Amino acid sequence: MPMGHTATAQAGSGGLTATEHRLANGLRVVLSEDHLTPVAAVCLWYDVGSRHEVKGRTGLAHLFEHLMFQGSGQVKGNGHFELVQGAGGSLNGTTSFERTNYFETMPTHQVELALWLEADRMGSLLAALDEESMENQRDVVKNERRQRYDNVPYGTAFEKLTALSYPEGHPYHHTPIGSMADLDAATLEDARAFFRTYYAPNNAVLSVVGDIDPEQTLAWIEKYFGSIPSHDGKQPPRDGTLPEIIGEQLREVVHEEVPARALMAAYRLPHDGTRACDAADLALTVLGGGESSRLHNRLVRRDRTAVAAGFGLLRLAGAPSLGWLDVKTSGGVEVETIETAVDEELARFAAEGPTPEEMERAQAQLEREWLDRLGTVAGRADELCRYAVLFGDPQLALTAVGRVLDVTAEEVRAAAAAALRPDNRAVLVYEPIEPADEAAEGEDGTEGTDAHEGAAK
Amino acid sequence: MEFHPQPTPGTARPWAFPAPERGALPNGLTVLRCHRPGQQVVAVEIFLDAPLEAEPEGLDGVATIMSRALSEGTDKHSAEEFAAELERCGATLDAHADHPGVRVSLEVPASRLAKALGLVAEALRAPAFTESEIERLVGNRLDEIPHEHANPSRRAAKQLSKELFPATARMSRPRLGTEETVRRIDAAAVRAFFDAHIRPSTATAVIVGDLTDIDLDALLAETLGDWSGNTAQARPVPPITADDTGRVVIVDRPGAVQTQLLIGRIGADRHERVWPAQVLGTYCLGGTLTSRLDRVLREEKGYTYGVRAFAQVLRSSGPDSGGAAMLAISGSVDTESTGPALDDLWKVLRTLAAEGLTDAERETAVQNLVGVAPLKFETAASVASTLADQVEQHLPDDYQAHLYARLAETGTVEATAAVVNAFPVDRLVTVLVGDAARIAEPVKALGIGEVTVVTG
Repeated sequence: MPMGHTATAQAGSGGLTATEHRLANGLRVVLSEDHLTPVAAVCLWYDVGSRHEVKGRTGLAHLFEHLMFQGSGQVKGNGHFELVQGAGGSLNGTTSFERTNYFETMPTHQVELALWLEADRMGSLLAALDEESMENQRDVVKNERRQRYDNVPYGTAFEKLTALSYPEGHPYHHTPIGSMADLDAATLEDARAFFRTYYAPNNAVLSVVGDIDPEQTLAWIEKYFGSIPSHDGKQPPRDGTLPEIIGEQLREVVHEEVPARALMAAYRLPHDGTRACDAADLALTVLGGGESSRLHNRLVRRDRTAVAAGFGLLRLAGAPSLGWLDVKTSGGVEVETIETAVDEELARFAAEGPTPEEMERAQAQLEREWLDRLGTVAGRADELCRYAVLFGDPQLALTAVGRVLDVTAEEVRAAAAAALRPDNRAVLVYEPIEPADEAAEGEDGTEGTDAHEGAAK
Repeated sequence: MEFHPQPTPGTARPWAFPAPERGALPNGLTVLRCHRPGQQVVAVEIFLDAPLEAEPEGLDGVATIMSRALSEGTDKHSAEEFAAELERCGATLDAHADHPGVRVSLEVPASRLAKALGLVAEALRAPAFTESEIERLVGNRLDEIPHEHANPSRRAAKQLSKELFPATARMSRPRLGTEETVRRIDAAAVRAFFDAHIRPSTATAVIVGDLTDIDLDALLAETLGDWSGNTAQARPVPPITADDTGRVVIVDRPGAVQTQLLIGRIGADRHERVWPAQVLGTYCLGGTLTSRLDRVLREEKGYTYGVRAFAQVLRSSGPDSGGAAMLAISGSVDTESTGPALDDLWKVLRTLAAEGLTDAERETAVQNLVGVAPLKFETAASVASTLADQVEQHLPDDYQAHLYARLAETGTVEATAAVVNAFPVDRLVTVLVGDAARIAEPVKALGIGEVTVVTG
């Protein structure tokens, strides 16, 4: 258990510190003290997500995440939920393209319980995993898919855009929720093999943040996790490398029963963890973040052609990130009108870059988002794990906001010029149909997801 | 691996819901402030006592348009400038109108509170309400209606209000107005509503966060202190009544892969003694995935991603004031399982009424509800929101703090009685948004009330 970094605050970290440790079995541990409130967050990231899934088994990582709440060696049935909630804590798990996380926020005096529970399922899940919970959670996840994606207007847009943006066979071509057919096909043996392959201490990072005694916490971690054997069964995910620019405009028109026409698009952007990605984030914020952005001002305020217009960023480390445009049209406005205006705004921005006021606003917005994320023990624990798993250094979480504030206007312009152009996007257009037409159109393409699949709300 | 016995908890560190300091500005504005060390993002919640009930006949939605228009320009800034200035502070500002009144919520880093609060004060003191901006907001609102209509849970909520409340009551109609009423709203109507109902003497500002190095008195004096208005009392509101005759209404959605359920009635609000027991019992029924409903519907049968029971105060202005909470069960189930899921849901309710809660269930619920408080109120925004809810419902500032003590004292028998009274099997209005052709017959067979089908 060698000690890593010392707890000295770095510049731009807002006074927050974190220490790093590693158990003999390879489990990486990050601790961060904060005694303002008598609570602490336990967060465990496994380095496995939907990008590790193979053809025919999409959705397995997320389905498996649900199975992690169905008992383990010493915990019966729903015990993981019952024990944490009965201790005054809250818990959940989520699955994304690149990782699966589990987290508990506990009153200080119950932190040891959360560590015991996480260790129990990391070391002994298979003792409890059976056909009954597999069948039950398969149905729950299929209902999650219906509720969140298939039964809501535009619900499958993200899945469609992802499939367009990453080519067939690419590890990010499918989203974490998976397809109904693959969810049906998953077997208990698939789940067991998945656990044996990916759920190991040397494929995880554990962070504990809040009102803790670091020495005591580390001793508990050693006690409960220390005897879980490591193993090296994991294969690296398939290569996610793609050219920087798509090189053509990909396009799909969807005729569905939706309330209004919509123009959505995904632009290929630099990988997360790079300065260019932060620059792109600022560009998207100036163009489409909040109510003073260029697209909002143009489409919603001046032209009055859209109900809502904005950009979002899906940061990805193992494949190009996605800049996500979403515009719902007003009244009978045609998509072409919107598209022309968007292209004009993007071209103008690529040529002129942001004004000093726009830079100030975008940086202030992103700074507040960081303060929000780091303002709770759970948010901080998650960010420490994120930087440890994806970039090998949890300390980067504490200085992230400084890096965003360091980006220059010229870098923002350059990021936009390089990526926010028509030959670097996948476009999804929605054209509404009347309910009666639907049967004729067929309703086969029912898919969709968010970046993060919550296990149990 | 080496197994160890389940650890025993350490000693709990005391925690109490923060007590705000209450005061008033010379203009009559009530101010609640609460210093939360370490919370760098300050939350400001302003409650304006302008209930939807006060909207003029035929102008449903005017309170909403007015709320939105507050951030669309002032005597000093155009709409675009105002949004830009706010965002330059790294702030978010949200204003919305609901039955009890209008809530304006600001979140901003402490270092820029002064500037942002100045902008909010400007919006309250001198909103521009230009014809062009109001026209735009009305158009935008009209565009939103079909989106809400298409969303199964929003659609269900709208139908339940229509079913429960008398047609003459504002509460029976959509909070944000209908196409017909919104279309009638213009700048003059917005201005008239503002002039009649928005003034500092009936407003309260709640400010929570790390206030170190902030001279709040000076800041308030030069921002919200500058807002003036008459000192008329807020208008009284009529008592809430509802028809909870057991029945089922299906909102037809041909081809829907799931059925959205919303099963509700009205019941006790926070002023009634039964509230803590109702909170406890409702949690045991459907507060989480280990509660009675999900134990069967999700974890045994797999019919749903999750069903929740809850009590949400609609409007409440004091003991015996005719306030009420919406008591409801909501979730969605796959179309095929609609009949069986409702059958199981009713069985859960009947079993609960017949056998009551167990002591173990009650104990876990208390541990959770009381234990999660320090987690739940970690951020300034969550504290501010709860304090503002208390103001809005005419509750004392220490209500939440006492609620935890009362929850801990509530026994199994009281919690059982409260939840059984809250959800009587023959007094529940069930709204189902789903494929009527596939679900109507199985639902009729359940005998949970007359079944009618509506379209749209």
